[in-house]
Amino acid sequence: MAENLLELEEMRSSEDQTRFVGSRIGVVSLVAAAVLALSACASGDKQPPTPPATSASPSSAPATERVVGPLTPADAQALATMNDRLKQYVDVHRKIERSLPKLPADATPQQIDKNQRALEKLLRQARVTAKPGDIFTPEARPVIKRLLANVFGGPDGKQLKASIMDESQAAPSAAKLTVNARYPDIVPLTTIPPQVLQTLPKLTEDLEYRFIGNALILLDVHAHIIADFIEAALPK
Amino acid sequence: MRLIHWSYVALLFLLIWTGAGWRDSGIPAGAAVVQASQSPAESAVPLPNKDGSLKFCVLGDFGTGDPSQYQLAEQMARLHERFKYDLVVLVGDNLYGAERPQDFQKKFEIPYKPLLDAGVKFYASLGNHDAREQRFYKLFTMGGKLYYTFSPKPNIRFFAFESTYPEPEQIRWLEKELAASNDDWKIVFFHHPLYSSGERHGSDLRLREVLEPLFLKYNVSVVLNGHDHFYERVKPQKGIVYFVAGSGGQLRVGNIDRGSGITAKGFDTDLVFMAAEITGDQMYFNAISRVGQTVDSGVLTRRKSTPDPHR
Repeated sequence: MAENLLELEEMRSSEDQTRFVGSRIGVVSLVAAAVLALSACASGDKQPPTPPATSASPSSAPATERVVGPLTPADAQALATMNDRLKQYVDVHRKIERSLPKLPADATPQQIDKNQRALEKLLRQARVTAKPGDIFTPEARPVIKRLLANVFGGPDGKQLKASIMDESQAAPSAAKLTVNARYPDIVPLTTIPPQVLQTLPKLTEDLEYRFIGNALILLDVHAHIIADFIEAALPK
Repeated sequence: MRLIHWSYVALLFLLIWTGAGWRDSGIPAGAAVVQASQSPAESAVPLPNKDGSLKFCVLGDFGTGDPSQYQLAEQMARLHERFKYDLVVLVGDNLYGAERPQDFQKKFEIPYKPLLDAGVKFYASLGNHDAREQRFYKLFTMGGKLYYTFSPKPNIRFFAFESTYPEPEQIRWLEKELAASNDDWKIVFFHHPLYSSGERHGSDLRLREVLEPLFLKYNVSVVLNGHDHFYERVKPQKGIVYFVAGSGGQLRVGNIDRGSGITAKGFDTDLVFMAAEITGDQMYFNAISRVGQTVDSGVLTRRKSTPDPHR
């Protein structure tokens, strides 16, 4: 009881403090602005333009978009080869999926599993010659690795990597990855931080990026199979 | 160069003096009011337990299949004997690791069997560890959708959001649904917290930037999240109360950053689920640990929409 009362008291005093601080902010904000302006003038550096406020338009805010970049024209061209392959893959996936009974919205785990394995089998047959690099093309691979290196080399890189590895201790680094193989049941699905999603090419809802150890994989969500992968994509 | 140096020193002094930069500077009208009224060390007490109220639980990050998950599930079943809650809101990471039929059993159907047998419905949202196919699973009541809304009682509406892949289409859907809802209580649940003192994950600032304006504009009172593996009741943020209930099976001991300044109550030494009851304008809540201890409790009053002065 006493502890909770104390918490409430803390909240009230925090509000009072906020009001007091607010008045002080009003007094000094002009001074602060002047100091900033002085600094900017003195430095003479051109600052990059401030991005537009996102709160004004939540439906189009950047956090919901995945932006590929920064890219040179050559990098963009390299990733375009991957996008072509992605489209081909999704076309095959959807064609096969349409041939299977639709999963009901109130399915049992057995139905989900049966549907998944049926799709897995047919996809494997349709892509019997598939190999690494068919989707993550040789042109796109170095670009993706570089984009990931940028993300993980940034100030939050260490924390981002920790969040990916979090709860994935069971992920065997020695797991042999194979295109068209079922995603290993013993490996938990990893977190994919939004920074990574915003950097990599956008996917349709049939596919998603995941990591297994240091490898970036392209997971077919419905079939639960590895459509392609890039080894050592996660920087050390 | 020296001028630049002293300018930044002066600015730093001003920021420290005013507290600007890290302190929330205002509480708007229509803020939820929280009263923490019960001792944190009491055994689980069935809230007001009124007839006709909405009674529910909140559970997150639970599907490990480990004995500790089962022990917390036993506490949930024990509470249900005295407090007949109708539903459980799942805030994601529902199944860890494999998702074969036997995993659905081991990590969900067996531990919560007493509740499922008693007709308690589970409403899931998906976490970063969940396969999207879970949306088809009958007992998660998602109707094949990644995001959805439901109203278990008149004037109370829940909104389930998928926070791992928050596509623009989904944001538009949420805004449309929130705008269309005239319910007194609007409660949004999803995995990644907008406010959290977790040292591992913490607040998802990018998501906050997108969602918080919607919550404020459309009068959301309560937001339920997981992801960080502990229990935290966050001090009302711009009038909205945020809970992190991410220790339904996973636990990250000592992970609450005590210096975050946003914690109203935190508990990171054992697994926890939340029990809640909405009656009228009040929502009562208990956070109950694996040994049946109530580690937090209180009552909050919903936000009330402020009349538009331009109308």
